[in-house]
Formats: sequence, C-alpha cells, structure tokens
Amino acid sequence: MTAFRVCPSTGLRIDRQGELLMRAHAVVATVALLVGGVAAVLVLLTRWQVVHLLDSVWFYRILTVHGMNMLIFYILFFEMAVLYFCAGPLLNSRIPSPKTGWAAFVLMVVGMLTVQWTMWTGRADVLFTSYVPLRAHPAYYGGVILFAVGALVVVGHFFATLVVAKRERSYEGSVPLITFGAATAAIIAVITLGHGAAIYIPTFLWSLDLMHVDPQVYRMVWWGLGHASQQINVAAMVGVWYLLGALTVGAVVLNEKISRTAFVLYVLFISMAAAHHLLVDPGMGPAWKVVNTSYFMYMAVLASMLHGFTVPAGVELGMRARGYTQGLFGWLKRAPWGDPGFSSLVLSVVVFGFVGGITGVTFGTEQINIIAHNTLRIPGHFHATVVSGTAMAFMGVTYYLIPLIFQRKVAFWPLAKVQPYLFAGGMLVFSVMMTFAGTFGVPRRHWDITFTNAPFDLQFHPSVDMVMGVMALGGIVAAVGGALYILITVWSVFFGERLQPGDLAHAHERTAAGATESATAGGA
Amino acid sequence: MPMNGLPPGLLNPPPPVAPDAEARLKEHGWMGSTPGTMILVLVFLAAFALYYFTNWKLLSFVWRIG
Repeated sequence: MTAFRVCPSTGLRIDRQGELLMRAHAVVATVALLVGGVAAVLVLLTRWQVVHLLDSVWFYRILTVHGMNMLIFYILFFEMAVLYFCAGPLLNSRIPSPKTGWAAFVLMVVGMLTVQWTMWTGRADVLFTSYVPLRAHPAYYGGVILFAVGALVVVGHFFATLVVAKRERSYEGSVPLITFGAATAAIIAVITLGHGAAIYIPTFLWSLDLMHVDPQVYRMVWWGLGHASQQINVAAMVGVWYLLGALTVGAVVLNEKISRTAFVLYVLFISMAAAHHLLVDPGMGPAWKVVNTSYFMYMAVLASMLHGFTVPAGVELGMRARGYTQGLFGWLKRAPWGDPGFSSLVLSVVVFGFVGGITGVTFGTEQINIIAHNTLRIPGHFHATVVSGTAMAFMGVTYYLIPLIFQRKVAFWPLAKVQPYLFAGGMLVFSVMMTFAGTFGVPRRHWDITFTNAPFDLQFHPSVDMVMGVMALGGIVAAVGGALYILITVWSVFFGERLQPGDLAHAHERTAAGATESATAGGA
Repeated sequence: MPMNGLPPGLLNPPPPVAPDAEARLKEHGWMGSTPGTMILVLVFLAAFALYYFTNWKLLSFVWRIG
C-alpha cells in the first residue's frame, strides 16, 4: 500500500517513498557539489599564475576530480531527483518500485565512490575526458559503468512511473510541460548512457589489456556521452525554468505546442552537437563536420532560442495579466527580486543565453573553431552554460524544494536572497574573463602558462595577466556563492526549522485556486 | 508578508489569472502582448551578431587568403 502525504502549499500528493528517494539523491548531489567546489577553488588558485598553488601532478588530479564531480555526479544525482519529482508529485502518482529505486541509488553511489577512490589515490589522472591512450585503473572505468547503469535504471523507473500514472489516471489531459521536459531529458539520458556503455565497456577491457581501442573512435563515441550528458542538463534546466516561472510569479505557458516542439527538437538534434568537439580532428571529413554542427546543431540551438523566448515571455504575460502593465519593463521592475527562486531563474536564463549560448554557437562553427579550440574560451563557454545556467537553475529550485520536499524552512534566509547574485555575478565575470584569455590564446587544461623549463619560449600579451587575475577574482566570488548555497541547504535539511502544519495552509487555499495550475498544467 | 525561511512564491502564491485577462491585454503592434521580452530578444540578437562577426574578423587576422 502506497503512503502519500498532501503538500500543504501546492496540494500535490507526494509518495513518501518517492520523497525519500528525492531527498537521498539531492543530498548526495550536494555532497558531490561540495567536493567539486573545493576542487574548483584549488584549480582556480593554480591557474591564477600569481598563486600557482598545486604542483603539476596534483593539478591534473584535482582537475579530474572537479570535472567528474561537477559534470557527472552533482548534475546527474540532482537530475535523478528532478525526474522523481516530475513523475511522482507533479503527476500525483506513486513510485512503482521503490526497491528498484533504492537499488539504482546504491549502484550510483558505489560507482561514484569507486571513481572517487581512483581519482584521489592517483589511479585516474586522466581528466574528465579520459582520452585513450591515457590509462586509468580499471576500477575507474568500472565505477563509471556502475554509476551509468544506476542512472539508466532511474531513467527506466521514471518511464515506468509515467506508465503507471497514465494507467491509474492520476492526472488529466497530457502530462504537464515540466514533466514533458523531464521526459525529454530522460530520453536524451538513454542516448547518452548508450554511448557511455558503447565506449566505457571497451575501454574497461582495454585497461585490462584485453582489447584495443582506437583513440579517434574513442573521441567520437565518448563525446556522444560527454556532450550529450550536458544536453540532459539543458532539457532539465529548461523544465526547471518553466517550474520556477510558475512558482515564483505565476508565469503562463505562452504556447504549449511551441514549447513541446522545442523539446522534441532537442531529442532529434542535440546529440549531433557532440560533433563540434571533433571539428579540428583530422579523421572526420568537412561534410560530416558541417552537416552535424552547422545544420543539425542549429536545430537544437533553435529549440534553446524558442525556450529563451517563451520562458521570459511567459513571465511577462503572467505578470501583465495580473495587472503589472506599466510601460515596457514595469513587470520586470515589480518582479520579486528578493525571491532567490526568481532571481536564479532570471540570472540562469540571461547568462546561459547571452554568454553560454552566443559563445557556444560561435565556437561550433567549423572555421571559427580553429581559433577557439583547446583555449580557455571553451571552458569560458561551458561554465556559462552548465554552471551559470544549469547549476544556477537547480540552486534556485532548491529553495522551493527544501520546504516542499524536505518540509523545512530555508535557513539563513537573508543569505539565501543574495546567494544567486553572488554566484551568478562571480560566474559571469569568471566566464567572460576566461573567454577573453582564450582569445589571447591561453590554453585550457594547462598547469603553467609561463612554460617554465620548456625548450621553447612563449609570451602571451601582457594584458593576459590582468585578465587571469580578474578571472580568479570572479571565480572566488562565485565560490563564495557556491559555499553559501551548500551551507544554506545542508543546514536547512539537517538542522533547519521544521515546517508547521499552519505555515503554508493559507497559501494552499490560494494555490489550489489557481497558482499551481500554471505549474502543472497539461495540454488539453 | 515576508517570513524568513519560506520563498514568497510558496508563502504568498501569485493570484490566479482571470479567465479573460490574457485576451484583454493591450497589443503593442508587432511586439504583441509581450513587448518587454521582444526588446530583450532584439538585444540578444544584436549581441549574437556582434560576437559572431567579431570572431570572423579575428579569424581573418590569422587565416589570411592570398
């Protein structure tokens, strides 16, 4: 017999087992964020040439730790929590097999711990990409495979929940737009994890000297995992944008068909975007490169631009419909800027679009890629997308999930209000300065750009020192913002004040009347 | 009605939109009923074009023809 509780604020029915699964995934995600964040500061203080903290061995080790924790463990654990939320509470459905969910969670945790062990003990100094012929301990590849299998089971569980919800008629009409977005993320996750299996299983066998792996083939298939995994983020992030818009200001969905079509465009074309990682590889012909990156990829970019329009337009329309009609930007001026959910939404949309989106499309052009590839411009781009975009959106929704799922008040509320500004502001400076430094040719993933003891001499433009210094300051501000987020969430979840039954009761009366309709509305 | 620890969107959710409120919104010519967003979109497109052109210009410095 499934036990439910009814959320006092939204009126949604929440399966208690599903709630526990959500909590567990969110907590582990935050731990991974903490580990990755500490690694980020260490990497930053090494790339800042004035400080140059770590030696070369530890620099590459910590860079590996940073990449895996941030791009894989933090993001995917959080996305698994989002999947449980979108399939369970948003559809008023039970979770069909909690035991399967816990088994998958254990697989993911064991995989993560195995990878952490290999990385921290120097058995996997291969960076996030682990390009062959760089070789890690077999346990590293085994750990990644375990983690991926666990994630795949969670995705399967998500689809099973959709089937159960449909069969038991726990919702009416089509699934809500947010759940549709989560389903998009889940489909892309299947494609991604398929690529992961296709490349990590052979590489695992290669690490045991049981077979040969061609480096070019590795790169091609691996990026089907490496980049596509970031597209899961994009789809999940856009879903969170719609959710935050509805929760914070009652944003309306401008046009269900357009938003859903844009999600479908992601499924159809976004995987091809992985090809832009191979634009300077000699193995692929120009036709293959151009078709994938200048035709198919642009269809996925079109999808992002559609969402980039419909999300703020939905906010504007929702606010204008509630009477905020003064001038062009009266609605924006009257928006709840002190609500960390809303500020996170706006900052995520703006930095993702203006910095991450524009740089990404530009660098994905075959000819331009030749001057950007392997420079700091590339991490400048993806810190604006994955960090300022996805992580910022996930941080914003956390401030709502703490009361809704953990049933606690958000601790240090005044700090929570400024946290998005610190984090996004710091990351904006960091990303833009990285991009500038890359424009001067500063390489990415490089321990020492002064090339000490190198047989050749290379001098960068003198302004590079200043740009790298400002970049470091931006990074430190962002790290403070990230540390605040971890402090607030951990304190709230483990030591925070419990919600009392009456805290949100009056809100429910109004919410039940309509506010969550826009958050959970399905197409007719 | 601020209360520490609870996001305004939960504590004081946005009121429901009247059924005909969207239909009654003023149209702003070609910018429709969301003129603010349309302006932001134009700013975005201008930034996009500028950055894209700048990169082709940068490329022309290092990849000369002829």
